[in-house]
Amino acid sequence: MRLPESQVAVLQAASANEAQTIERLAEEADLKPETVTGAAFELESKGLLDVAESAEETVELTEEGREYAGEELPEVRLYRAALDAGADETPAQMGQIIGRSGLEGPAVDIALSNYARKGYGTIESGEITATPDADPDSDAEAAALGSLSAADGGESGDSADESADAAASADSPASIADDTASVADEDTLDQLESRGLVERSESTVRSVTLTDEGVTALMEGVEAAATVGQLTPEMLTTGAWEEVEFAEYNVEADAERVDGGKTHILRQTANRVKDTLVGMGFEEMEGPHADAEFWINDCLFMPQDHPARTHWDQFALENPRSMAEEAADFPEKLVERVKDAHLNGVGEDGDGYHSPWTEEVARGIDLRGHTTSLSMRYLSGHEVGELEPPQRFFSVEKVYRNDTLDPTHLLEFFQIEGWVMAEDLSVRDLMGTFEEFYAQFGITDIEFKPHYNPYTEPSFELFGTHPTTGEMVEIGNSGMFREEVLEPLGVDCDVMAWGLALERLLMLMYGFEDIRDVHGTLADLELLRETEVLH
Amino acid sequence: MPVVDVNPDELRDLTGHEEKSDDELIDDLFALGLEFEGRTEEGDLQLEFAPDRLDRLSVEGVARSLRYQYGDDRGIYVPSTNDPEWTIEVDESVPDERPYVTGAVIRDVDLDDDALDSLIQLQEKLHATMGRKRAKGAIGIHDLTMLKGRTATSEGQAGPRNTITYRGIEPAGDRFVPLDSDAEMTPTEVLRAHPTGETYADLVAEYERYPAIYDDIGLFSFPPVINGRRTEVSTDSRDLFVEMTGTDQWTIDRMCNVVCYALDARGAQVERIEVEYPDRTLRRPDFEVTEKTVTHERVESMLGVDLSAERVLDLLERSGVDAETTEVGDDELAYEVEIPPYRVDVLHPLDVVDDVGRAYGFNELEPRYPDVGTVGGRHDRSKLEDATRNVLVGLGFEDLLNFHMISEEENFDRLRITPEGDVLGADEPATILEPYSEDYTMLRTWALPSLLMVLENNTHRAYPQDLAEIGLAARVDGSEDTGVAERRTVAGVLARHDASYEDAKGRLQAVARNFDKDLETPATDHPTFIDGRAAEVVLDGERAGVIGEVHPEVLVEHDLELPVAAFEFRLDALE
Repeated sequence: MRLPESQVAVLQAASANEAQTIERLAEEADLKPETVTGAAFELESKGLLDVAESAEETVELTEEGREYAGEELPEVRLYRAALDAGADETPAQMGQIIGRSGLEGPAVDIALSNYARKGYGTIESGEITATPDADPDSDAEAAALGSLSAADGGESGDSADESADAAASADSPASIADDTASVADEDTLDQLESRGLVERSESTVRSVTLTDEGVTALMEGVEAAATVGQLTPEMLTTGAWEEVEFAEYNVEADAERVDGGKTHILRQTANRVKDTLVGMGFEEMEGPHADAEFWINDCLFMPQDHPARTHWDQFALENPRSMAEEAADFPEKLVERVKDAHLNGVGEDGDGYHSPWTEEVARGIDLRGHTTSLSMRYLSGHEVGELEPPQRFFSVEKVYRNDTLDPTHLLEFFQIEGWVMAEDLSVRDLMGTFEEFYAQFGITDIEFKPHYNPYTEPSFELFGTHPTTGEMVEIGNSGMFREEVLEPLGVDCDVMAWGLALERLLMLMYGFEDIRDVHGTLADLELLRETEVLH
Repeated sequence: MPVVDVNPDELRDLTGHEEKSDDELIDDLFALGLEFEGRTEEGDLQLEFAPDRLDRLSVEGVARSLRYQYGDDRGIYVPSTNDPEWTIEVDESVPDERPYVTGAVIRDVDLDDDALDSLIQLQEKLHATMGRKRAKGAIGIHDLTMLKGRTATSEGQAGPRNTITYRGIEPAGDRFVPLDSDAEMTPTEVLRAHPTGETYADLVAEYERYPAIYDDIGLFSFPPVINGRRTEVSTDSRDLFVEMTGTDQWTIDRMCNVVCYALDARGAQVERIEVEYPDRTLRRPDFEVTEKTVTHERVESMLGVDLSAERVLDLLERSGVDAETTEVGDDELAYEVEIPPYRVDVLHPLDVVDDVGRAYGFNELEPRYPDVGTVGGRHDRSKLEDATRNVLVGLGFEDLLNFHMISEEENFDRLRITPEGDVLGADEPATILEPYSEDYTMLRTWALPSLLMVLENNTHRAYPQDLAEIGLAARVDGSEDTGVAERRTVAGVLARHDASYEDAKGRLQAVARNFDKDLETPATDHPTFIDGRAAEVVLDGERAGVIGEVHPEVLVEHDLELPVAAFEFRLDALE
């Protein structure tokens, strides 16, 4: 008979007369216990071996138990101190006896609560007596602790691991149920367990015996078949693979961790947004992060003294502080038209702002607070030439706000920006577009809350129902660009636009609570590696 | 966004709707765009709203808006005003920086504690919004009985009889007792030693002469900083003198209108004053209505619905403006709309259309997908970036996304480079003006520092850590329009116990192959890398970046205990 090497070894080590534990076989065959277990079950399935299982109780000393095994139980110490003080004849003052016993801290309570129970004497109204004929040297609990301690090797520093090994080893006397019986009776063990001096646990012990077939097979002779761990190129080319047996793997075990690479989840989300918008007919915009205030604010009809234009809200650059006058590459006459809109409004009935306006401020360089600066560049014809309606454009790009960094606010975040240019767009078209967009991300039931922006009218904050919590959350800001924005740019049809923080969409989709774990140098690699891929 | 605290009992009282519960009021307010944020300790409703309808900065204005919404009021209300008895004379000495003043006299006001609180709140909120923190407009309210006007010389003449003066004085040119103080102080002393003075000192610090208002007794107000104690308003005050100074006449006139309307709503009588500039005289407050013409077609096309003229007129009146039909151009139906003097947000006829939409109820409109055909597409740069990212991820890199803002120390010092020099990363940085975090003071000149920071923050996580990022890097460049040259950069790091130059180069070769680029790596010196283990990245003959084993000093600086091989190059080199 040909069997794998490990099975041959186990078969040869096993006995027909005596049950042997897996551990002992492992030692004899010089194999790992788990290999022996595997082989034993294989042999059992071939009928060559019997595997018997029994439950084994392990009793181990706790740290406190070890301590008392080394010294004496607190109640015994108390008794001896009481005897010394003659409490077997006259009741003695408790405090005095405790002092004499040298007990301290919690040991005092332990001594007192066990003293009377074990018949060492009585404790009443501050006085203690000692039973003259009590025999502390035959205290069953102390004796049990002593023998457990001896079995333990008498060392108090045993680590849990070592104890576990000891428990698994057939040679450790304290771990065999039979021996435990000799160490102490069940009541004493219960008592010790309830006092927290020992811990009892159960484990399964397997022992094996040769069957008659096994004996026969051995007598007929078993040979080890060559097993191989790995299929090699040589085996394939020489044909040796036909002669070998492949060692079995534990196919259920976990393999070593592989992380591989992954597109950042915020990028994945951005790409989903981009795919959706491209599918809806939007074309992507691109442009500078550090830009003139003219494009960022002035074209958007934000008055130059608007609170959001201070450096408390947006990042101004120190170097370069502003465009050189001759470098300012604004389309011809656009500056004049924008200035005129600010000062005088547009149209017959239009009014301007009652705020100062200078080109010097417009030439200041800021980190863009919104990507609407790109929309202005495109709408003005500066980027891709004059645009004829209809048009749809978008970008999913970074913007910068001088905000307080907290779990939901970053100094840099991605803004989804989109706009539609067409003749005669109405608020209903705006609503229909956004419903379509958000539905792609599982957000339906959008509500449009009338809002105010300096650059759009009407304006709406968009609210949607959170897909998991059911709360109404703000999911964007939108509106129809004002005439004061469009007329200077030379656009004479309607343009509707909206913006939304990509991070907000991400947090809605993934349920993140702290955006800083994801975006920026505080990113947690574990989180990035383990976050579920959405699709 | 502004937040106004409103006592619900006062709101019921002022709207005349005692039957409304707090919850009903909150719902009605939401429909107006005032969002309930919570309650104050006293139980007032805290309402947040967009900063256009600044006439709603007090309970009186909120109540007025509700009355229009309920249909209790329609069209425009203009309070009657008495003829002026008081004049503000503007002296030629008035500071050039703050030349404008306006005001009003308020008679027979009944100021209980709630009304006084509301008035003080309105004043503060107007300062914060239209007043641009008092820089553009500042309000002073005084007890009129404590003022002694200089009487006009020709007694018996019709018109104003009492005059006060707005002028400029030397910073330490006079003394008065400011509010919340017992001591006489000069304006300079107020700025130095009075808490309110310290807060607003910056507003006048550069002024040669300080703004000052005098009556016949002397200095009683130091705008925009603080009033004098003599004229302090209390619940006993019956007649008030309101003055506002600022940098723009229109702005302070509108602020004045908002205050006068609020006091009128409490039953007070508004009395006009005269403002006498050297070259002209104004009568204030100015309750003149403004007119806008809006076409019927614009209303319909904006809302996307058909409406009758009657319906539009009804909606206009319900939103608190007066309107009548008219015709423009070729017999086109239009509306002549009159806007009340407390509205500061109506610049264009379109703003009137928005009011119609709100009165109609935007959420009543049925969404429709616009019937407009366009072709979508990605930008070339963004396509290249995605393609490169795909290749890097395929090579096992974890794609990262870091901030573009960084500190000088992280960008330069900790990588052993300086802005001078001609190695990658050594560029003149675009810096942030007055940054308030020392961690974010400039735009990064390269991405490798960010990746090393991520490694530094993740030393407790499993290795290998192979990270890559494609992102923005920038430097100052006078030849660009904006003065800043921005580029996309591709950076990768391999952090593992046996990371070597070869590991990085192998991956870089794979990238080059994928984009059909010829890669050369001539040896170079770069302080971030180990001497003899650094090379330039040259793609199709163009210098594009750097590759090498990171210098141990840089690793130790980032608390890294294993070697790191890295590369970085310009994305456009793969085009």
